[in-house]
Order: sequence, then C-alpha cells, then structure tokens
Amino acid sequence: QSFKLLGFLDVKSVPCARESVLYGSLGSLVVGLGHFLATSRVRRSCDFAVGGFICTMLGYWFYCRYNLAQQRIRQRMLKEGMRNRILFEGSSLDPERKQTSSERSDS
Amino acid sequence: MANPTQLGFQDASSPIMEELVEFHDHALMVALAICSLVLYLLTLMLMEKLSSNTVDAQEVELIWTILPAIVLVLLALPSLQILYMMDELDEPDLTIKAIGHQWYWTYEYTDFKDLTFDSYMVPTTELLPGHFRLLEVDHRLVIPMESPIRIIVTADDVLHSWAIPTLGVKTDAIPGRLNQTSFITTRPGIFYGQCSEICGANHSYMPIVVESTPLIHFEAWSSLLSS
Repeated sequence: QSFKLLGFLDVKSVPCARESVLYGSLGSLVVGLGHFLATSRVRRSCDFAVGGFICTMLGYWFYCRYNLAQQRIRQRMLKEGMRNRILFEGSSLDPERKQTSSERSDS
Repeated sequence: MANPTQLGFQDASSPIMEELVEFHDHALMVALAICSLVLYLLTLMLMEKLSSNTVDAQEVELIWTILPAIVLVLLALPSLQILYMMDELDEPDLTIKAIGHQWYWTYEYTDFKDLTFDSYMVPTTELLPGHFRLLEVDHRLVIPMESPIRIIVTADDVLHSWAIPTLGVKTDAIPGRLNQTSFITTRPGIFYGQCSEICGANHSYMPIVVESTPLIHFEAWSSLLSS
C-alpha cells in the first residue's frame, strides 16, 4: 500500500520522504507558533509557518539523501571487497598473502 | 515487469536506473515543496478582498525571480550529472545488435561467432502457465550479468524503439541509422520491455525480453546456440 502526499509523493516507499515531511511539519509548528507568541500577528505567523515547513523539509531531505548516498557507496565497496576476498583468498593474487610475505621478508 | 495498476517505476536493475529513480524522488520532493507553497498562496488569495492598491512590488518580484532560479539549479545539477553518466561507455564486454522489424526483433551477436536469431512474441494461445501475456518471446536476449553491454539499435523498415524500463534503456530504432546504448545489469533475472515507437498494426505485439545470467551460463547458452 502506498500513501501519496498531494497525490504524487509516496512517503512510504521513497527513502527519507516520511522523515522530511514529519520534520518539516515540526519545524513549521515551531517557527509559526514561536513567531505568533513573539509578535501576536496571525497572518505573518502563518507565512512563517509555511516557510519553515518548506525550509525544514528540504533541509532535512538534502541531509538525509546525502547520508543515504554515502551509505550506498560504502555498501558497494563492501560488496566488491567481499567478492574479491572470496575470489582471491589463498591464491597468488591475495593482497593479504602479499602483505604477509613482505612482512616476513622485512623481518 | 510492472504489477497491474502500477504507476511508479519498476525496481531498478542497472546503476543508471537507480540514479534515475533517486533523481525522480528528488524532483518530486522539490515539486511537493512548490505545490505546498502554491496551495498556501491560493488559499490566502481566496480569503482576500479584491483590491487594486498595489503600485509597485520590487521586493516580491525579486523573490519570485531568484527562488525559481535556485529551484532550477537544484534540479538541473543532478539531471546533467546523470545525463553525462548515461553517455559514459566503459569498454563493453559484449556488443549486440538489435534490429527492429514489423513486428519482431532480430538480435545479432557477432563479436566472436556469427550468432543471429529472431525474437517473436509468444501468442496468447501458446502461453505456458506462469508466462505473461503480450510479454513473452520465443527467443530471449541473453546477456552476462554485471558486465557492460553495448546494444546497437537499428530498424529494417519503419521506426521502432528498444526499451526496457527496469534497466533505464530506451533507444529509437531508425532505418539507416545506428543508435548506441549501454547498460550493466546488477542482478540476474528476466527483464521485460515493449516496442516504444508506433510502427503499425502489431506495434503492441513485439516485446523485448532480456535474460541476465552469470557468465558461465551465458557461455553455455551461446555454445549451445552456435552449435
């Protein structure tokens, strides 16, 4: 099942989307309410609330997607490393074997 | 293949498609932010009385010029990055020619031996249990997984288009022209696509099926076919 905000953004299946919208809502509440408590101006507080929602949502989105991209890169490196380890372990191309033999020759 | 009533992308089976899906998510998030703002402004305007007191609006004109420019930059940068990434061609391990006809595809593996076969859709009356209607073919395009593959696409008669959504590939088949595309499949499996350029009565009945297998099985298959 999917839950699509405004009919097009599926917050359940898109990574970081749910957290972005939730943090955006929290940011909107904090900024809007804070502005109202400080100034007692309803209309301007609503403007700040909407601005806070957009800025917080997009800000967390970029932060989360950047971390996700880094995690994906680490996953790919790990997968490649594991595959190479399985392929070359014990063979003449094993880098750990070359390292051990260079340590022996040094000693 | 797509599930019934599916609206979104299929799961990605190539690195380029993974990037495209991520960019699409990013574009939708930007679209959500813009739509939220527009909805709010519409609501405000509906609650205001109509008046014509505005004389000049220097500040708001500055804002609604700079903000859209920023949004366009946020969208253009990853888009161009993926566009150039799609044009990169690591030395392909295999080159296959795909030739569109009315209404079937011909595949040629000519790197090592001359291996050519036609790929016709399996009619609905001849489908086996578990097969997909209008998607199965008699001879699949078999490729080794996790290897860069180059496909050279052309056509014999009218325009066709060789497309596989899960790999992020769509290349027009134009008579008298060779178009090139490349991809790497990240996992084994069977990937379905359909002709994507109107080409006559049976345009909907010339699907494309790519079977991605480990290299050892690909070698066995090609030996079998060439013998």
